[in-house]
Amino acid sequence: MTTTTPPGPRALAWRRRGHSAARFWKQYRTRRAGVLGLAVLVLFGLIALTAPLTVGSDVQSVTEAPGQPLESPSGQFPLGTDRFGRGLLGLLIWGARVSLLVGLLAAVLSVSIGAVIGITAGHFRGRYATVMMRVTDWFLVMPTLVLAIALATVMSRSLGTIILAIGVTTWPTTARLVRAQTLAVESRPYIERAKALGGGHWHIMSRHVLPNVMPLVLAQTTLVISSAILAEATLAFLGLGDPTVISWGGLLQDAREAGAVSSGDWWYLVPPGIAIAVVALAFTLCGRAVEAVLNPRLGVAR
Amino acid sequence: MSLLDVRNLEVTYADGSAAVRGVDVSLEAGGKLGIAGESGCGKSTLALALLRLLPAGTRVGGEILLDGEDVLAMKWGRVRAVRWAGASIVFQGAMHSLNAVHRVGDQIAEPILLHRKATAAGARTRAGELLEQVGLPAAHARAYPHELSGGQRQRVMIAMALACDPRLIIADEPTTALDVMIQAQILRLIAGLVTEQDLALVMISHDLSVLADTCDRLAVMYAGRIVEEGPARQVFDDSRHPYGKALSGAFPRIGDPASRFAPRGLPGDPPDPAAVPTGCAFHPRCPVALESCSVDDQRLREAGAGRRAACVHVPEAAASPSAVPEPEASPHPGPGAGTDGAGIPVPGPAPSSDATGALGKPASAPPPLLSAEGLHVSFPGRHGGDTARAVDGVDLDLRAGEIVALVGESGCGKTTLARSLLGLLPPTAGRVTFDGRPLDYSSGALRTYRKRVQLVLQDPSGSLNPRHTVYDAVAEGLRIHRYGGDERAAVAEALSRAGLRPAERFFQRYPHELSGGQRQRVVIAGALVLEPKLLVADEPVASLDASVRGEILALLLRLRDELDLSALVVTHDLGLAWNIADRVAVMYLGRIVETGSVEQVLSAPRHPYTQALLSVLPDAPGEPVVLAGEPPDPSRISAGCRFHARCPVLASGEAERAGVADACLTRDPEILGGGGEEQAACHYAATSSTSNPSELIR
Repeated sequence: MTTTTPPGPRALAWRRRGHSAARFWKQYRTRRAGVLGLAVLVLFGLIALTAPLTVGSDVQSVTEAPGQPLESPSGQFPLGTDRFGRGLLGLLIWGARVSLLVGLLAAVLSVSIGAVIGITAGHFRGRYATVMMRVTDWFLVMPTLVLAIALATVMSRSLGTIILAIGVTTWPTTARLVRAQTLAVESRPYIERAKALGGGHWHIMSRHVLPNVMPLVLAQTTLVISSAILAEATLAFLGLGDPTVISWGGLLQDAREAGAVSSGDWWYLVPPGIAIAVVALAFTLCGRAVEAVLNPRLGVAR
Repeated sequence: MSLLDVRNLEVTYADGSAAVRGVDVSLEAGGKLGIAGESGCGKSTLALALLRLLPAGTRVGGEILLDGEDVLAMKWGRVRAVRWAGASIVFQGAMHSLNAVHRVGDQIAEPILLHRKATAAGARTRAGELLEQVGLPAAHARAYPHELSGGQRQRVMIAMALACDPRLIIADEPTTALDVMIQAQILRLIAGLVTEQDLALVMISHDLSVLADTCDRLAVMYAGRIVEEGPARQVFDDSRHPYGKALSGAFPRIGDPASRFAPRGLPGDPPDPAAVPTGCAFHPRCPVALESCSVDDQRLREAGAGRRAACVHVPEAAASPSAVPEPEASPHPGPGAGTDGAGIPVPGPAPSSDATGALGKPASAPPPLLSAEGLHVSFPGRHGGDTARAVDGVDLDLRAGEIVALVGESGCGKTTLARSLLGLLPPTAGRVTFDGRPLDYSSGALRTYRKRVQLVLQDPSGSLNPRHTVYDAVAEGLRIHRYGGDERAAVAEALSRAGLRPAERFFQRYPHELSGGQRQRVVIAGALVLEPKLLVADEPVASLDASVRGEILALLLRLRDELDLSALVVTHDLGLAWNIADRVAVMYLGRIVETGSVEQVLSAPRHPYTQALLSVLPDAPGEPVVLAGEPPDPSRISAGCRFHARCPVLASGEAERAGVADACLTRDPEILGGGGEEQAACHYAATSSTSNPSELIR
């Protein structure tokens, strides 16, 4: 026994959180694919964040394009130039910013909607849940892309619209997953104990259900990011993106319009395509690893 | 030559924990061997080792001779042939051991098709025969597991075990999850089949009384070793090992005044198989341990005719009748003493006169703390089925400082009644009064109510959120009710009241780091922290080990004495009522059929249902009255007395002779009053006794 006063519960709670974060990292580290995915993400993240220093916002400028249109890769332009003579490497780096931003925000929006609807539908049974789940079903059977296109066409062309269009069309899967987990948690005896202690709806949802569905939500977020990046690329490719910003999907769309497919200008098409695929894959790898670490019931953890 | 001969069996799991450490057992054909012990003592491992069912990576040493052939040395193909055809297992959880998507007939036929050159039709016929052997109609072969009740599923498991005419049947806790009446049915079925077909039986259970009733020989296991062995009845009645004594004492004999208000347990937890104590493995928990026990290992030695025990108190020569000193005589306090060194209280027999004395005079009794009046709770039937009347007219009073046991089979509505008393389920009709005021179901009023009435659930592992620490779990109630004082001090006090000392050591533990008994103490501490007046405990010890059971019950009794806490204990275990309750209410199909003081009801039951429940207890005197059929279905309550379809008094014609048979079939006995007086809702009991129970009804 020491003579110093014991640390308060709050301090102990923080220390505990630190311990569990360390434990999480220790287990995560053992998953090769997850570490690889994380490394790729960190790399792309750094590239995107440092883009203003490395390539600068000038790369977007059509009027001050440094090269000739559609130059093939050379020493000056490692990935060639686009139809305005801009360096494709610079555009690719600059485009990462938008693609990652849209992917992250759209995923957060989508998963938040899904988690709120899933938890409330799982907690309040009865009419509310029925209505909510029918709405979810309706969104689930609607072709996501068509709905997103409709939304993007109706609203003004901006990044916000794209994020919103992706966010409000991809949440139903999350809602279903979270609801199922909520139902499982709510049938545990400790929920009944919490009710008998006098806990209300908010107490049960925030103190008992949320911590238990959090791992699922986290893993789901990383998985949704990759599909959001793909969705953003799709929408931009279809010409529904913001024409004033450069994104990977927008580059593909430019390449198509410039006739790169038929004229064999592969450097215009391949790099953005590969970048999209690699980032989406990296997020999926991370998501799977997070899921496996946080949810030992998947059976792969031990 | 013995049918089964286990020689120096050692099992070590891949993680290094030694689950079985040198066991010798032998069993003749036709013999029945019981293996008893707490969870983690290695008894299930032993059972699995007999058929080489242990996970890969487990090291197994010694010999297991089945019919003279060493199972451990067999080739793989031979092991497969021996499994089921030579020896078969009846597993514990019939729900989990049956495949939900196959008909039970096909599941019984599966081993027949695997082991015999049988046609599908032949196997099906055989499955039908087997079902009839275990007392089920052959038509049940077409049923799916979920269509059968728990008892019926266990019968199917037994039929499956018999499918290939094995010589040996291993039954691993075959009745643990079942009701008393169903348990009696299954035990009789197993014993009958073993005698009839000249099989050998190895039965594993934590309940010594069940084994003593069914088996001829009994082996008590502790920390992977057999510590005592002998004829079943003798080991149960007069154990030579302190551990055997503690186990047999954990299940009280109803009517034995020594166990009234004196639940007996054993302090401490079973040892971790990865770190078995030195010397005699039992010494840290032993009430009569000597100093040398922590050093000297004990081996089994003769302890009377055909008996062996591994204890230093058993002399090397032939044993004297009381080889093990009574715990009272030892320097270590045991059962009967106040509080032991570890802070675990074991109260001695407390006089019950104050509680029972008041009950005789209802007029002078204080007003009840909680009372239910004409309470009905019903659930709408699924898919347009009949309404289930789970609670169908119940009056029940609970006074301050009183422990009432609510006893009944599963499905009788006792849990629903407890939930509605807590306000977790609103009643369909009738009302609940607390402290003289009717219960208000508005959320604010309920919150205040729940500060004063707390719930303790059956499964302590389930009732703690695995992501909350002990501190958070106990402080939860305080946070909900916005406790103004020192949260830390309140939590520490509640934990030490519940017997977890020093409390600070448990603050940051997670539930999975605690033993079952400790978890239940945390749940109790979480209830106590709000300083309630009443505790509703739903099967508080049903999922705990025999030794821990006594400890938790003793805790409830001590809390009653120290804090004047009332408790309603919902249970299927009549021994528990005898251990701690002042008053008992026996429930059948939504209604209380007999109520009164524990001494009156359990010593001289008047309702035929209570009589039957008491008679099937493993060591009850007299001929057991095993009720046929299944526990009742609350969506189909028959007219007249709700018990008449299973009533042995009506079936034997005694009711007819007493002239009440008509009433039994047509007239519903009146609802019993909630007070303390002895009453039974039975037309027959009303005629045969001097005091007419129906006159006592308000």
